[in-house]
Amino acid sequence: MKPNEFDVIIIGGGITGAGTQRDCAMRGLRTLLIERSDIATGATGRNHGLLHSGARYAVNDAESARECIQENMILKRIAAHCIDETDGLFITLPEDDLAYQQNFVQACQSAGINAEIIDPDLARRLEPSVNPDLIGAVRVPDGSVDPFRLCAANMLDAKLHGGQVRLQTEVTGFIREGDTIIGVHTRNIHGESADYYAPVTVNACGIWGHGIAAMAGVNVGMFPAKGALLIFAHRVNNLVINRCRKPSNADILVPGDTVCVIGTTSTRIPFEECDNVAVTPDEVTLLITEGAKLAPSLSSTRILRAYAGVRPLVSADDDPTGRNISRGIVCLDHEVRDGLKGFVTITGGKLMTYRLMAEIATNAVCQKLGIDKPCETANIPLPGSEEKSYEHVAQKIWESPSTAQKAAASRMGTRASRIRSGDRRDEALICECEEVSVGEINAAIDRLEVSTLTDLRRRTRVGMGTCQGEFCACRAAGLLAKAHGCVERERKDLADFLQERWKGNFPIGWGDTLREAEYTQWVYKHVLGL
Amino acid sequence: MKFDVVIIGGGLAGMVAGISLQKEGLSTAIVSGGQNALHFFSGTFESIKEPDVRLSTLLREAGIHVHYAPGVRLMPLGTFRESALSLEDISLFSSPIIGRRALIVNLTGYHDFFSSFIAEGLEKQGLECRIRFISLPELEQLQLSPSEMRSVQIARKMDRVWNKVVQEVCVLLKDEDTVILPQVFGLSDASVPGRIRQGIPAQVVFAGTMPPSVPGIRTQMLLKRRFEVLGGTFLAGDEALSAHVHDGVVHSIVTRNLDSHYLEASSFILASGGYFSKGLRSNPFRVEEPVFGLDVEYAQDRNDWYNPSFAQDQPYMGYGVKTDASLLAIKDGEPLKNLYAIGSVLGSTRPEFGTAAGLAINSAFAVVDEILRRSAPQDDNVFHSDIVCHSERSEESEKEQ
Repeated sequence: MKPNEFDVIIIGGGITGAGTQRDCAMRGLRTLLIERSDIATGATGRNHGLLHSGARYAVNDAESARECIQENMILKRIAAHCIDETDGLFITLPEDDLAYQQNFVQACQSAGINAEIIDPDLARRLEPSVNPDLIGAVRVPDGSVDPFRLCAANMLDAKLHGGQVRLQTEVTGFIREGDTIIGVHTRNIHGESADYYAPVTVNACGIWGHGIAAMAGVNVGMFPAKGALLIFAHRVNNLVINRCRKPSNADILVPGDTVCVIGTTSTRIPFEECDNVAVTPDEVTLLITEGAKLAPSLSSTRILRAYAGVRPLVSADDDPTGRNISRGIVCLDHEVRDGLKGFVTITGGKLMTYRLMAEIATNAVCQKLGIDKPCETANIPLPGSEEKSYEHVAQKIWESPSTAQKAAASRMGTRASRIRSGDRRDEALICECEEVSVGEINAAIDRLEVSTLTDLRRRTRVGMGTCQGEFCACRAAGLLAKAHGCVERERKDLADFLQERWKGNFPIGWGDTLREAEYTQWVYKHVLGL
Repeated sequence: MKFDVVIIGGGLAGMVAGISLQKEGLSTAIVSGGQNALHFFSGTFESIKEPDVRLSTLLREAGIHVHYAPGVRLMPLGTFRESALSLEDISLFSSPIIGRRALIVNLTGYHDFFSSFIAEGLEKQGLECRIRFISLPELEQLQLSPSEMRSVQIARKMDRVWNKVVQEVCVLLKDEDTVILPQVFGLSDASVPGRIRQGIPAQVVFAGTMPPSVPGIRTQMLLKRRFEVLGGTFLAGDEALSAHVHDGVVHSIVTRNLDSHYLEASSFILASGGYFSKGLRSNPFRVEEPVFGLDVEYAQDRNDWYNPSFAQDQPYMGYGVKTDASLLAIKDGEPLKNLYAIGSVLGSTRPEFGTAAGLAINSAFAVVDEILRRSAPQDDNVFHSDIVCHSERSEESEKEQ
């Protein structure tokens, strides 16, 4: 085989693409993943980071609920370092119908979700931030998941199984032989073109899969539904808090790392807006108002940023809100559907079910290639997740780990052993909000395909904390400039990074957020001279 | 407690006003919350284009030496910006081609000095650059702690061992005509940068670091010392909470630490800064001035507060309290009779006074003159003798130091 020939090409570096590459690679296929920007830039990195128990779907979509709880248990086994097993509450407020609770619990139980009605007093003790007016509470095995970490771990494992990854590389066209797709034309960020060949190509591009399918000459009807979310600067809650009612706007509050996230909304948007979704003031108001009903202290908690993602729902009916469409998995073999050979689309689904989606897509690929190997992704832990407790991991690596070292272990899992070096200077902190050290940043640059500061943020949380990159962006830029040997590129990268941070700040630009923004803008413009 | 003038805010504007008034014999108190814009002062008095004798004199008397040489200065990320009046630390050049070869010296493990950016910026101007790192045993302890290698911590050590840096640089220096060092020198002794320049046989340029700014903090300390030597009352770590205002006259203010001991004065100056310094406060609906509830100029629609581009000027930064021609602050549409606003609490509502450090200084001097004019007593002789006594006393106490 030539270096540009593979068994399968996967387009899309979100969680579905990364998961599919891992599965294919573990079944012995030569894989290539192509992503036009960075990993987890689409819906993968723009959601709650909720490890669904499936309870949210139990009443209206039993199939999704069952998929969720199964994957929930699998991910707890294979992705320990990406997951926080917090548990969750479904609360009934005075304005809600308590009768719904019975339905809900029954539906959960028949889907295999361990939902337990608890006394409101117990709920208030378990989760002190919860709205004290609640009249009912159900405890479910919800949790939180870091999608960036999960995506990076899948990609890394694919690489450990011989997979190749081309980030910042766009598919510009398909190479055909009659009615078969045999490869792709690509162009990378530096303008270099390359062709890659494989008997099967998988379209795993989320909402952008619509355009990729069109490029291949087939139609996949998609339904772009924007969801807006807010990140708060503190971890207000320790349990996920949901409303026990028919799913609606802004009714899930998820704790994650040092923050918590409220969301979401659902608005249909045109395809042209998918690349640049903005959060409107009305959405911000709605999220704060509804969020404060879950946890009243949110109304006085500093907001870090606003962001929005686009759900890749496959069009099914005329519901204008998109809420009633099943989040079900859609795997299209275009040979069967459209007579186009060598092309598979995997879409629909959700972050929670990425592994199952990958399994289904890989089964389809293997069937086409005549390979009969079982899927093992549910049994073998991701790199970094070989141990369950990050504190245990930290203890093993460093005899008496500092809080920064524990933070690194919580982010990197067992891979944190790579950042231990003889040089204490590698422990110097670049990002003080999130306690990210020089060593962790260098490890990410070495192993995780980092080309920009924003890439680095997705892999290490640099710049995700309270100061939003005010201090660490410049320091990290120094390390990147050194690693890549190009300062001019880094100067532009730094400006892009600050712009990207500002995009999420100004929709909630008041109070302390505006204070911080004023300081950052002043420092970079007038003091540092960017 | 009763003063002639009470100033809210101990940044550049408040200090310049306080020193000037105290020197003219008016008893003055400054309420200072602590950190202010001097903590990230670039060292250059931006927007001041002409030599300012009054400012230079005031600063010199405080032990702060400035130089006037319209040209450009080197920024911490390797770019150049036009500047005219700067602290002596900051080199001013007639053009960005500041030499032929530059030796850029950083400290091992220090991530807040951007040596590679500076090198790239200078290389664009045709200079050949060499970056070298030096290690001093005195910094080892700092290097071991993950968050200690920061400008001020280093500067505290450097106050004692700066001469070792000079020796190291002399060893490293080959044929370079320019040496670039981080601004981590002379925190407590303003003469250190000059002595480093004397010790190195090349042009020495101090380039800025990530804040806090060492020259800025030194400037703050020297201004405060000067104000106190003149007899001023500096209330550090306190915060103005509210005010007693009757018939358009401010009688006193309430501060956090003094509680029921109100600060009374004939005149008040609001020099409380922008959002960062809490001179202005914002919520989703409005921008407010928190102490007096003054009228603030801002856009009603929050969507108009921001420019989506980070690099562009931001409308919210221009918002500030409304004032009349003599900088008397306006509340409910009417100017208060004895409350002036100066510095960045004005935003860009008074562009004729300049921006940034220029706005702080120009508006401070304007208000000082106005207060002095209004407080000139009927009997000139009595007042003058009072001043003379006061300033003599203060100069004596300065000599004692």
